[in-house]
Amino acid sequence: MIVEFSYKGPTSESTLLELLSDTSRKAKLLAGGTDLLVGIRGGVYKPDLVLDLKKIPEYQKLVLGEDHALTIGPAVTINEILSNKVVQQYHPLLCACAKDLASYQIRNRATVVGNIVNASPCSDMAPALLCLDATITIASVRGKREVAIGEFFTGVKKTVLEKDELVTAVHVPASSASANGVYRKLKRIQGHDLGIVGVAVAQVQGKLRIAVSSAAPTPVVTKPLDGTLSVEALLKEVDSIISPISDVRCSQEYRRFMVLEYTKYLLREVTSC
Amino acid sequence: MYETLDRSVLKSVGKSEIRPDARVKLTGEAGYVSDMVLPGMLYAQVKKSPHARARILSIDTSKAEALPGVRAVLTGAELDYRLGLYIVDKYILAKGEVRHYGEAVAAVAAETLQIARKAVDLIEVVYEVLPPVLSHMDARKEDAPLVHPDLGSYQYIKAVFTPIPNTNIANWTKLRKGDVEQGFAESDYIVEREYDNPSVQHVPMETHVAIVTWGSGDKVTIYTSAQSPFTVRNLFCNTFSLPLCNVRVVIPYVGGGFGGKAGIHIEPLTACLSKKAGGRPVKFQATREEEFSLLPCRSALTYHIKTGVTKEGKILAQKMEMYWDAGAYADYAVNVTRASGYSASGPYEIPNAWVDAYTLYTNKPYGTAYRGFGHVEFHWGIERHMDLVAKTVGMDRVAFRKLNALKEGSITLTGEKITKHSGDVVACLDAVAASIGYGKLSKEERQRQKDTGWKIGKGVAMLQKAPAMPSNTATASVVKMNSDGTVSVNVGLTDIGQGSSAALAQIVAERLGFEYKKVFVKIEKDTDSDPYDWQTVASKGLIMSGNACILACEDLLRKGYAVASHVLKASVDDLAHDGEGVYVKHDSENRIEWPQIAIGYAYPDGKAIGGPLIGVGSYIAQGLSNLDKETGQGKPALDWTFGAHGIICEVNPRTGEYNIRKIASAFDVGKVVNPQLLRGQIVGGMLQGLGTAMCEGYIFDTQGHLLNPSFTDNKIPTSKDLPFEIETIAVENSQIDGPYGARGVAEHPMISVAPALGNALFEAVGADLVHMPIRSEDVWRAMGDKTPIDNWITKSPIGSCRSDLVYKKEDASKHGID
Amino acid sequence: MLIRVTVNTVVYEREVKENRTLLRFLREDLGLTGTKEGCGAGECGACTVFLNGKTVNSCMVLAVEADGGVVQTIEGEAQEGMLSALQAAFEAHGAVQCGFCTAGMIMSARQLIHNNPHPTKEEIQEGLEGNFCRCTGYEQIIEAILDVTGQVQEKEELRYV
Repeated sequence: MIVEFSYKGPTSESTLLELLSDTSRKAKLLAGGTDLLVGIRGGVYKPDLVLDLKKIPEYQKLVLGEDHALTIGPAVTINEILSNKVVQQYHPLLCACAKDLASYQIRNRATVVGNIVNASPCSDMAPALLCLDATITIASVRGKREVAIGEFFTGVKKTVLEKDELVTAVHVPASSASANGVYRKLKRIQGHDLGIVGVAVAQVQGKLRIAVSSAAPTPVVTKPLDGTLSVEALLKEVDSIISPISDVRCSQEYRRFMVLEYTKYLLREVTSC
Repeated sequence: MYETLDRSVLKSVGKSEIRPDARVKLTGEAGYVSDMVLPGMLYAQVKKSPHARARILSIDTSKAEALPGVRAVLTGAELDYRLGLYIVDKYILAKGEVRHYGEAVAAVAAETLQIARKAVDLIEVVYEVLPPVLSHMDARKEDAPLVHPDLGSYQYIKAVFTPIPNTNIANWTKLRKGDVEQGFAESDYIVEREYDNPSVQHVPMETHVAIVTWGSGDKVTIYTSAQSPFTVRNLFCNTFSLPLCNVRVVIPYVGGGFGGKAGIHIEPLTACLSKKAGGRPVKFQATREEEFSLLPCRSALTYHIKTGVTKEGKILAQKMEMYWDAGAYADYAVNVTRASGYSASGPYEIPNAWVDAYTLYTNKPYGTAYRGFGHVEFHWGIERHMDLVAKTVGMDRVAFRKLNALKEGSITLTGEKITKHSGDVVACLDAVAASIGYGKLSKEERQRQKDTGWKIGKGVAMLQKAPAMPSNTATASVVKMNSDGTVSVNVGLTDIGQGSSAALAQIVAERLGFEYKKVFVKIEKDTDSDPYDWQTVASKGLIMSGNACILACEDLLRKGYAVASHVLKASVDDLAHDGEGVYVKHDSENRIEWPQIAIGYAYPDGKAIGGPLIGVGSYIAQGLSNLDKETGQGKPALDWTFGAHGIICEVNPRTGEYNIRKIASAFDVGKVVNPQLLRGQIVGGMLQGLGTAMCEGYIFDTQGHLLNPSFTDNKIPTSKDLPFEIETIAVENSQIDGPYGARGVAEHPMISVAPALGNALFEAVGADLVHMPIRSEDVWRAMGDKTPIDNWITKSPIGSCRSDLVYKKEDASKHGID
Repeated sequence: MLIRVTVNTVVYEREVKENRTLLRFLREDLGLTGTKEGCGAGECGACTVFLNGKTVNSCMVLAVEADGGVVQTIEGEAQEGMLSALQAAFEAHGAVQCGFCTAGMIMSARQLIHNNPHPTKEEIQEGLEGNFCRCTGYEQIIEAILDVTGQVQEKEELRYV
């Protein structure tokens, strides 16, 4: 079917939540549109109402909290993260992942929250946020709730969000600021591409976190690991959290191999930082 | 065409003149068919098959017809026309059976694009799904389903092609030279291996688009993004039995072609919709997804090579079997098979040769011309194989190539003798080998290996190609002087981006002795007003249209001199000219300026002579012949352009990831007409060749659904995929019948990039690759002697990492946004 | 929905459907056909324009999102019939072949130079990553940008042997 929808750009959160609470409508939220509009074009999404959240002033905010904690509003773009001096200095892993997300003009539109909410297994921002123990604020007319990012994804393109809910912020806690972190993404070309696999390794408060994208139905992360563990033991942890498959981009076998190779490489990088 | 010309002082040819179309392309003023809207224009959409092979049981168009705004609905039942370049095997819309995923089964024209899309969704087609034949190697088997059971009844060009009825063989090209069995018997080594490559998409940035008006009295006007206006007209009129003068084909600016727009594609269907809609103009533009499966691609190839060689490294015999995957329709694939068949050894002298080249029908999107016309694909095999043969003999790979290369006095596969005017492939090889420091690693490179742990390897590959064209290929040029002494030129050759409008203007300026800026080659093509040209293909434009332009200039000068001789009261033999006018050689003050005679000369008393100065030049390929169907002997080649690439790559020896540090490319172009344009062709072709080498290719599931019909999973090289260093090199051994000695080079930069990379990878880490493209996983598998990955026709389940699941389940044309 | 958009300093008021993309709005409603569609899915960059000072793929923006906004397209690049320095560099370096990616390429180059007046070759490659070109192989485009930013060292040339 050809989708025709109405468009609303409320300027207050309460109006937006009200509109979203009308579950008789097939509403979709629009931020950067880089996933939504591709999905509508391809027939994946057939909304009858598109709700633009960019006009709500507080949603555009990137709030730098005490001790360099971050609160990222749902309209904050990837390039806004990348050009922020504080983020560059205190959240290098966030920048490393952001830099590998699509192309410059996509990053001008794509949002951090959108990349999470889209819940693609190959999300670029998820590995960073998983390593950094981000929490997600979810709002609806019924109220607000907080969810750890590790609990947020439930499957391929599936999250804990209810139909009337939206993500109003992602928080990176102060405890994760200044964490060493590196990211590496295997692609088919040097230019912009979805990851065949992506691996992020971070040292957070003396513990190692290793997150992986494109190697399980959702982006995944290890529990905090003791940095004194042997490389073999660390790799075993990583191996236990992934469940790669074969698809047009690569085989299961190579995916698993490359996740472990990249982990080894990044462990060397991060410990030499 | 060059020996008679004064080449001692060239003023325009050889200079980097600015192309005339750059400015309007930079400002956005250049009009492409995509940009056009005609009054009363309707928009077309196509209903496509979701199956690779199925019987059409019924098509219900009633809901679509009832939709307000729909002006025409068509199904195959109404259209009894068949199309085909060489074998007439394709209905405009599928009738009875669909033969590939994405094939058109019905079409709609409506007042808006949105209505057309809705209408297409409302068309209900009931299929009985049939088992498809997908692999071209399976298509050879006796029990394979027949893609065209009626092949025996199809019309085809009998002088050139050989379809085998009751099989899937659309064509069988044979070549026999010497005695291969004897050659093998005398050889010290026999080296045999098979190489293959998948189907690939051209990816012009502008997808196929046409606007057609089928007016009263069967007058048809076609605006189309195509390469060859006269071929579109010719094939269109063949299909509909119309006089050529009834049909006008107009081609404005074209957003790339690469062979994909060489023949005729969406124009007939769009025309039929216009006719059904009462003659209103109808526009159809393919989506990017449709470009991958509704429109054709490059054929897959499996190439089996068996070489007999002496221990000194001299090739004595070679048996070459090519299996080309036509897909569902023969289109250009049968001619790719023919052209590759007679060139199958690459630029090597093979005293005893045997070629069997087959075109096989399968239930996949069909193959057409693609930059290189088969040579990109088979050079992958030949040039990987030559490394293997050299290694077997224990010889240096460059020395081995030089020993066996075609050179002056060599006899080609078809019996043609190479002369010093044919070009020099060894010079190209030497140039690239020197450029990459072939054969050893520099101190810096050794240090780099140490620092990075990545292994550096260097590889070379040679190449050749001649235009694949009929022996009587012809073209013409009309050079018209304007009343201010500037010159307008019409040719039927289309500038689809290659820069022919600049190169031909330079040739005209040179021959007339005019300034370049006084010459303009018309860009938009129109079969009603431009002179005939066979096609814009085959890298033959520069030679053929260049020669026609020179002849037209000479005709114009003759006519100008005739008028001037009256005015100046001097014999024509005593006249000379410059950019401003004509003068008497021994009395140079006695002159007349071009504007005074450009449209006729008027004496002071008002009496006039002459008339508009218009020079006409016609050129036809000389001395070519059809090849003997049993032996393949004859003369198929207007000219051979030779070249070579050298690549330095570095490889992670654990993971198979690799980078290209440097590529050097050299071509014997005869004479460089425009260095900047040539460099643009070389770098652009090289990167397109790298795309083919590194990442591009169609992937199907076992039912024949195309799994990567978009840029999401069919990547092409970006600006970040350039090699770190690029060197472009020209060798100039004049083509005796080329304009100022020049020969074509548009396709060649793409050829042999892949095997140069494959050879470098082998050198670096011992990964012995026989399949392209070469992804990091392929290198990893080859290094570890693991089974090659099973995709191209994959048994892999569709995974959760796929972002475009929708294209699997639904018709790819569904768009929710306008 | 009625929208008001400033395009290349001209203010347009138009009624548009909510599902219309900015690309179609520019091309079909305003007749600004210099901006091209290459894929319709945000991958190829042929439709790149400036929206409120930042480059976007206009095929992936709804026209209604541009309401009250400022758009710059290729039609605004040349001034009074004179090519901009960037366009002139493209022309001089042979950075144009078929021309279909050119408008988007100029937009991305303009953004890059705005962000970084002296980009290195590598930074240019990064900046143009989202703009596919199938003809040129990018090299002469990169050279044009190096030139217009005053960074041409040695001119890359064809070598004759």
